[in-house]
Amino acid sequence: MRDTIVIGAGLAGLMGALALAEAGRRPLVLATGHGATHWSSGTIDVWGQAASGGPRAAVAAVIAGDPDHPYARTGVAGLEAACARFRQVMQAAAYPFVGDLHSDLMIPTALGAFRRAALVPRTMSAGALQAGDRVLIAGFRQLRDFYPPLMAQNLRSQGIAAHGVYLELPPVNRNLDFTTRSLAQCFDDGAFRAHVGAQLARLRGDASHIGLPAVLGMRHPLDVIAELERHSGGQVFEIATLPPSVPGMRIASILERAIVAAGGRIQIGSAVLRGVADGDRLTTVISEAAAREQQHRAVRCLLASGGIAGGGVRTDQTGAVWETALGLPLAAPASRRAWFASRSLDPRGHAIFRTGVLSDDRLRPLDQRGVVVYRNVTIAGGALAGADTIRERSRSGVALATGWAAGSRLAAIEA
Amino acid sequence: MPATDFIELSLDHCIKCTICTAACPVSAVTDLFPGPKYVGPQAQRFRRDGEAPPDDTVDYCSGCRVCNEVCPTGVKIMEINTRAKARIVESRGVPLRSWLLGYQYLIGRLACGPLAGVANLFANLRWVRVLAEHLTGIAREAPLPSFSGYSFRSWARRHRDPHAAGATGRPKVVYFHGCATNYYEPRVGEAAVAVLEHNGFEVIIPEQGCCGLPLLSNGIFSHGRHHHQYNVAQLYSYAAQGIPIVGTSTSCTLTLKEEAPELLAMHDEQTRVVAEHTYDIFEFLRLLHERGRLNTRFRRIKRRLPYHAPCQQRAHRIGRPALDILELVPGLTMVESEAACCGLAGSYGYKVEKYRIAMDVGAELFDFIRASGSDLAVCDSEICRWQIDHGSEVYSVHPIELLREAYGLAPGA
Amino acid sequence: MSRSLTADVLVIGGGATGVGVVRDLALRGIRAILVEKGDLTHGTTGRYHGLLHSGGRYVVKDPQSAQECAAENEILRRIMPHCIEDTGGLFVITPADDERYAETFVAACRACGVWVDDVPLAEVMRHEPRLNRKLRRAFAVRDAAADAFLATEANAADARARGATLLTYHHVTDLELEGDRVTGARCEDLRNGEAVTIHAAYTINAAGAWAGKIAGLAGLDIAVVPGKGTMVAMNHRIVNSVVNRCKPPADGDIIVPIQTVAVLGTTDIAVPDPDVFGIEPDEIALILAEGEHLVPGVSRMRALRAWAGVRPLYRDVAAVDDRDIPRTYKLLNHRTRDGVAGFVSIVGGKWTTYRLMAQEAVDLVAADLGIAIPCRTAVEPLPPVHGAPKSGHLTLGGRLRHVESEELYGDVICECELVTRRQLVDAITTGGAANLDDLRRDTRLGMGPCQGGFCTYRAAGLWHELRGADDAGGADAAAALTRHFIQERWKGLAAIAWGDQLRQQRLDELIALEVLGVDLLPAAVIADGARHPTVVTEHAAIATEYHAE
Ligand SMILES: Cc1cc2nc3c(=O)[nH]c(=O)nc-3n(C[C@H](O)[C@H](O)[C@H](O)COP(=O)(O)OP(=O)(O)OC[C@H]3O[C@@H](n4cnc5c(N)ncnc54)[C@H](O)[C@@H]3O)c2cc1C
Ligand SMILES: Cc1cc2nc3c(=O)[nH]c(=O)nc-3n(C[C@H](O)[C@H](O)[C@H](O)COP(=O)(O)OP(=O)(O)OC[C@H]3O[C@@H](n4cnc5c(N)ncnc54)[C@H](O)[C@@H]3O)c2cc1C
Ligand code: SF4
Ligand code: SF4
Ligand code: SF4
Repeated sequence: MRDTIVIGAGLAGLMGALALAEAGRRPLVLATGHGATHWSSGTIDVWGQAASGGPRAAVAAVIAGDPDHPYARTGVAGLEAACARFRQVMQAAAYPFVGDLHSDLMIPTALGAFRRAALVPRTMSAGALQAGDRVLIAGFRQLRDFYPPLMAQNLRSQGIAAHGVYLELPPVNRNLDFTTRSLAQCFDDGAFRAHVGAQLARLRGDASHIGLPAVLGMRHPLDVIAELERHSGGQVFEIATLPPSVPGMRIASILERAIVAAGGRIQIGSAVLRGVADGDRLTTVISEAAAREQQHRAVRCLLASGGIAGGGVRTDQTGAVWETALGLPLAAPASRRAWFASRSLDPRGHAIFRTGVLSDDRLRPLDQRGVVVYRNVTIAGGALAGADTIRERSRSGVALATGWAAGSRLAAIEA
Repeated sequence: MPATDFIELSLDHCIKCTICTAACPVSAVTDLFPGPKYVGPQAQRFRRDGEAPPDDTVDYCSGCRVCNEVCPTGVKIMEINTRAKARIVESRGVPLRSWLLGYQYLIGRLACGPLAGVANLFANLRWVRVLAEHLTGIAREAPLPSFSGYSFRSWARRHRDPHAAGATGRPKVVYFHGCATNYYEPRVGEAAVAVLEHNGFEVIIPEQGCCGLPLLSNGIFSHGRHHHQYNVAQLYSYAAQGIPIVGTSTSCTLTLKEEAPELLAMHDEQTRVVAEHTYDIFEFLRLLHERGRLNTRFRRIKRRLPYHAPCQQRAHRIGRPALDILELVPGLTMVESEAACCGLAGSYGYKVEKYRIAMDVGAELFDFIRASGSDLAVCDSEICRWQIDHGSEVYSVHPIELLREAYGLAPGA
Repeated sequence: MSRSLTADVLVIGGGATGVGVVRDLALRGIRAILVEKGDLTHGTTGRYHGLLHSGGRYVVKDPQSAQECAAENEILRRIMPHCIEDTGGLFVITPADDERYAETFVAACRACGVWVDDVPLAEVMRHEPRLNRKLRRAFAVRDAAADAFLATEANAADARARGATLLTYHHVTDLELEGDRVTGARCEDLRNGEAVTIHAAYTINAAGAWAGKIAGLAGLDIAVVPGKGTMVAMNHRIVNSVVNRCKPPADGDIIVPIQTVAVLGTTDIAVPDPDVFGIEPDEIALILAEGEHLVPGVSRMRALRAWAGVRPLYRDVAAVDDRDIPRTYKLLNHRTRDGVAGFVSIVGGKWTTYRLMAQEAVDLVAADLGIAIPCRTAVEPLPPVHGAPKSGHLTLGGRLRHVESEELYGDVICECELVTRRQLVDAITTGGAANLDDLRRDTRLGMGPCQGGFCTYRAAGLWHELRGADDAGGADAAAALTRHFIQERWKGLAAIAWGDQLRQQRLDELIALEVLGVDLLPAAVIADGARHPTVVTEHAAIATEYHAE
């Protein structure tokens, strides 16, 4: 039966599982639930802090300056390989990404701030606005997660001629709770799209670009965009907003399908409780199930359970910090007093959020003395120590690079 | 902290991420249900212990547990909802329809057997269904299964194990057939017995009652409790000897394992031992295989078949054991659906105001099955199979029937 | 820029007492202006424990307070049922407490006229399934949970309707003195820096823990000891009634179920300044450890938030411990006490006795002004307010029932606390809110488990549309509001962020930084320098950071 276990179904776990499946290892992905994929904006952010020379150069500089940063485990080449495979898979599923590692795209958030992203889905790329561009930001009042006038005004204060409007909701047989997902379903309907397109044509004025919340269909967003562009005559782009994230869900399901097609299996709803080892080899992974725990033979195991947000790391009142799946040693602040900075938005972040598993150069877990804990386990994504990827704005880049590398390296391990 | 509390206390884990609502198949198709985050961990903060909940929409939860499956923090959303429904029932009394749906098996007991032909004819007459819809609120179009001309138990009494002769000390296994197998689909039970015997087991079929799930999901907790206590009493002595209890109905086995003990807060020793010894039949076969004990001499079946893992099966949190085993059959390719739920969700889709919702929920699955071009679909749950037959007009079987075929065991043997 | 206003009476302080005073004045037809440096309930009234005292807590050590509470309890239940949830209260003897105290307690209740009833333990357990199974005795009292935000709003609305003026974000910087008489005060309008002078025949100092500072402006010395108390709100209602330990009052011995949370507390530590104090990790640890005696396992449940308030304790006897200072109030007539006319201070007391304190103060002032109209606050019901039921008591399920019957779920903006678009639009367009934190006090926005993680952006979007879309600073203001609210919520989180709440914080960070880029907007701080006409986010006079050491 299956003896390659991936713990976690976030971006890191899914990329790792894909690498394993493509290497013929038939991975079983175990996860408590969906990962941070469903919360994120759906771009690949490699290094989001101001940097000269683009993401590739930024990562090279990070590696040079911090040998314990997760990127140091994959190198620039590892990042490039992961991005390349990621783009192929997305392209094959008709959800292409644009951009490269030489320069970042600056795309607007739902608040109207510009953020860096190395790779963005084609649905968002027209949002890389330049000073002097004229743009219409349009949304629906029924969607409480998107405010066009506010976003437009913030864009204006940064030199973009933006105008925010609310569209009339086309006739639908629903009237209650418009979430990002239910609106995405609406966009799967032709009459709905035509109605929106006609409004955009009317409201566009002299705007060359039209920004809409990221709800332009679940499965075929490019078709939706093409149709809206045909109707309106403007370049249409999506803007990510509050969770649940439609772009995130699209990527997660494309990756899941690719994994299954390559022989993998995904078992969501199964939290890993612990592992059993024989010396420095993990032999069994145990997951929660109805009435009885489920045991899984583990010849190789990838831990991609995320950090504190993903649930891979838990904490308590006493300041104790533990890794939830395999009980691996963690690098964490010494006591609760050292967890936080006094300001919430302190640019240095909060020390507790850097907690994770230390790893060697092959992404295998290390203990406090620097000894490899399990030879047949690798670590990826938010579970790794050494970075606060939200402050760095490197979460997806790190997840992608380390997930792919950890999966590829694990695939080489024999029983 | 009282042990009954951990379901409600699980709301503490909720970080409001809305992943559950994005996945809930019911809120995706109807405005009547605001979704798991609202009616689950959120509404629970506004409900007082022991009082009727102030909200009614929770009644539209189908109990499919898709929310539990995707929640990254482990909130027991479906259980929170079901407890709230039970409190509504407690405070307002049980409607006739819930009694009928909860006690389906009594009807099955009357209609199954020699009278089945007449009963089926009658039950499918349009005026009868229309009248029934008016009187009881059971949707006229909803797929009622056909009563079988004989019950599984009557078959089992006549059945002689072909391997019994001369064999001593064979390992034993208890088979829990559930009502559906007994009154509507004895063929599934026959296949299960054949496969187990073929693998060298002596199959015991003790007295047993309805698992009580229909009562639980209709909020009739007190009656559900009686049913569970009865079954535990029947099964405990086997479980205590370490004899596994296997079932082909994913919802019955889930009820024995977890649903009844958790919802009813039954934490006594006997209930626990029975739960720990209960297995889905493919979960059991997979364990055999892992120990090298499964007979893997299969015939080649050159087919590509659509498979749906029912929500009640996924709720066991044991992966896809049917696929794991069927993968061993040469030539057979199973293609799994991505649909969250068939829509029927136990008795949900039988209710007149929910029939349409159930059909809309099931649409993705029906499309998948029709698109496969296959004339046969595979699914572990009887209720789902009826809904698949109804919605996609493709005949469907339990995977154990397929496995029997792979072993070359003729039906009726 | 400056403004000048005139009234018969000036009230300083927009807490329960000040707002109660201004309503009482208005009911008697006296023209009054109230000034408050922050929003109404910015002070202790917005940071208290939420308990409508039955008097039980004080029967043994402070009988006068107990009697006052018992009487006021009945009055408040009559005049503001919609701001009170009739939870009932219990005094319980846990295995850690001395069982003999029961007799002392019951005897003292009887002596003070505080209603008390011995309840069989089996019955207690039926209603309170999470309480310690090893309790030894339990007594029922008339405690209840009171929502001070709603109650203050109701008093304010009634006062306004009767002609009073309530000015928020008006910080008193000086008192006007003419000889031996206080004739008003000078304020700064924190929104625009304007100097505002208010002339009044009488000034009532109802500044709570700040009353000493205000009196100091007239050169008077009154010993108000700010007694800090810290509380921890748990993520959901753990108990259905108020639960007190039946023992001499001490730290962490009460749980109050209030709206959707249960509040554990408190501590009592004298602090030198009502504006500078912290929440210490030891306090949190102590509160949770004490809570274990009442509800085993409580310290492992999810804590939602911690906050601290300062008690306005008036020390006119030599007390060793803070808890020994009587909880009763004191009306100081500065004419007879210090020879300064036109000025009284009403200090000490409790939320429960705010009405009585107001009555006594206004009786004195009215008499001095020669007005013979008697007090009617004990009989005149308070008007309806948003967020409170139209009839009957506040109930836990009320808001959910309302959303189910009258709202679209898609219009719920703060999902955790069920705050709807309609409520927010109303609060933004008609209320005096100067930032999102004020909206929180008006509506409970951002008070639930996610602590604003989702609704901050939504509220900022609505605010911008309704208040600021046209003026140039609108977007800057929205950015400043967002950052301010994030920090406001964070303040009460750092002390209790572990486990689920820490995970929540990380998700909230992901939303604020990764998804929205709150920190990437061009810097805009609406503070001392660049002011915005309707927005106040940061100002030293109202900064309430918890300065943990
Ligand atoms: C589609 C998509 C879009 C993204 N968009 C952006 C973006 O715009 N910007 C950006 O910077 N980043 C983005 N990201 C990256 C994302 O936010 C995270 O970087 C990424 O998910 C890293 O987290 P992870 O995979 O390590 O863990 P997570 O995503 O946190 O997932 C953890 C997984 O582990 C599981 N788990 C935890 N504990 C256990 C256990 N004990 N047993 C079993 N399972 C467990 C969880 O249930 C979960 O499935 C995106 C990711 C994706 C996939
Ligand atoms: C931890 C704790 C728990 C408590 N629990 C309870 C309880 O459960 N039940 C109960 O009945 N009582 C309780 N109390 C007591 C009760 O909260 C207070 O007695 C009551 O709220 C005081 O109200 P107040 O209006 O007098 O003061 P405050 O609410 O503090 O009002 C004073 C106002 O004056 C304003 N102000 C100060 N200086 C200036 C200035 N220069 N210019 C303009 N305005 C100014 C402040 O901003 C403040 O809003 C508790 C107190 C504490 C500290
Ligand atoms: S059990 Fe199914 S129907 Fe009910 S809330 Fe969960 S996902 Fe929705
Ligand atoms: S998925 Fe879980 S954590 Fe997220 S909102 Fe739903 S119940 Fe809460
Ligand atoms: S759940 Fe199982 S035992 Fe219960 S009614 Fe259905 S088939 Fe019968």
